[in-house]
Amino acid sequence: MAIEFLDPTHENAFGGFELAPRLASLQGAVIAIVSNGKRGTIPFFDALEGAFKTQFAVGEVVRITKGNYSTPVEAERLNDAERWQALVSGVGD
Amino acid sequence: MTAHNFNASLHSASDLQSAQEWFHERKLTDGLPVVPPTPELVGQCLDYALLPADHLIGIEPVRERAITAEKVAINAVLAGCLPPHFPLVVTAITAMLQEPFVMHGATSSTGGCGILMVINGPARTELKMDATFNALGPGDRATTAIGRAVRLVLYNLLDVRPGEADRSTLGHPGKLSYCLAEDEENTPWKPLAEERGVPQYASAVTVMAAGAPRQIMNEWTTEPAEILDTFIAEIKASMLHYSIWAGNYAIVLPPQLRAHFDAAGWSKADVRDYVFEHAKVHRHEWAACGKGAVVANKGDREYRALVSPDHLLVVAAGGPAGGFGAVIPPWLGKTSQAVTVAVGACVDCEI
Repeated sequence: MAIEFLDPTHENAFGGFELAPRLASLQGAVIAIVSNGKRGTIPFFDALEGAFKTQFAVGEVVRITKGNYSTPVEAERLNDAERWQALVSGVGD
Repeated sequence: MTAHNFNASLHSASDLQSAQEWFHERKLTDGLPVVPPTPELVGQCLDYALLPADHLIGIEPVRERAITAEKVAINAVLAGCLPPHFPLVVTAITAMLQEPFVMHGATSSTGGCGILMVINGPARTELKMDATFNALGPGDRATTAIGRAVRLVLYNLLDVRPGEADRSTLGHPGKLSYCLAEDEENTPWKPLAEERGVPQYASAVTVMAAGAPRQIMNEWTTEPAEILDTFIAEIKASMLHYSIWAGNYAIVLPPQLRAHFDAAGWSKADVRDYVFEHAKVHRHEWAACGKGAVVANKGDREYRALVSPDHLLVVAAGGPAGGFGAVIPPWLGKTSQAVTVAVGACVDCEI
């Protein structure tokens, strides 16, 4: 006998996550990097910051570290966001 | 039964076996067989809890996913829950969605913790939960199904599957189901939920991001302090072998050990105070277990297992014979904190 049943998954019934528009150039831009706060992010983002500056002529890199690596970044840490042209959010362990 | 307007897609299979394979092929189950969540069974769960299908239980903050009663009910049926089990599943998910629990981290970390659920109140007896023999193992239908339902909610609504959002290196068997009823009938101690602010006689669920239980045994003393010293030795071992950071610990005491505390007049508060005072290690002790590289110049620094006495969850459970107890360590210090919610409580309602 045929059985009908309901789908247990989220069925992608949510939104809000789309790729941000690409920047035409990073030259002179202000780029923020948000770390999840784990130690492994430090050398990784140090290298990324160096690459931004030396290879892409980024004007300024703003480093932000979350208070808790398992929760979204605190709103107050984004107060200055209007000044940034891009933000890189990364995790490390 | 109320006519529900379900948002979930409706699928069909030619027979029960085909339905099983439908779920296994899509990794929508934990590896065990499931109960196909028919609209009728899901509707019965919602009716029992008096919840409309689109009732918002909460929003997972990291991925901003809405968790609705309908989808939780579907997964509860999938796990084998009966309608009377469903309110406890809703309560557990509600508790996990509270900010101090840090749901995303607790369910996705390489640390591989499970969701320990402690049930208090009349729901335990109404649902025939067994808080005695094999209390932390498989037993009654309700605790097993409720614990599994929470896992399947994580699987299917938040993609917390191994290798997807679940990044556990090892995990542990409690990730199938980790639900425990407290043995309130056989102890003068206050139930855990009541100690954590839930009114007497209300049913409640306490959730804790927890490692696997570590069993202890001490049948050679009647002194409460000596019995607790055994628990404390296990807590200290966890601090040295796993994580040194203070957080919630749970300890489970069976009747044979509890009798000595009762005879000596020790309350749960006395237990918590003693453990808080004595469960501590020094950083230099790491050197004896292979972690000398991170002792550095902080060897004399003292670390407590508990932030405060209230961070110890004392649970009465276990079979009548045997001086066995369990220490259940936290996932990772105080990153996630245990949360207790009464069944039927609306934690976000405006009065």
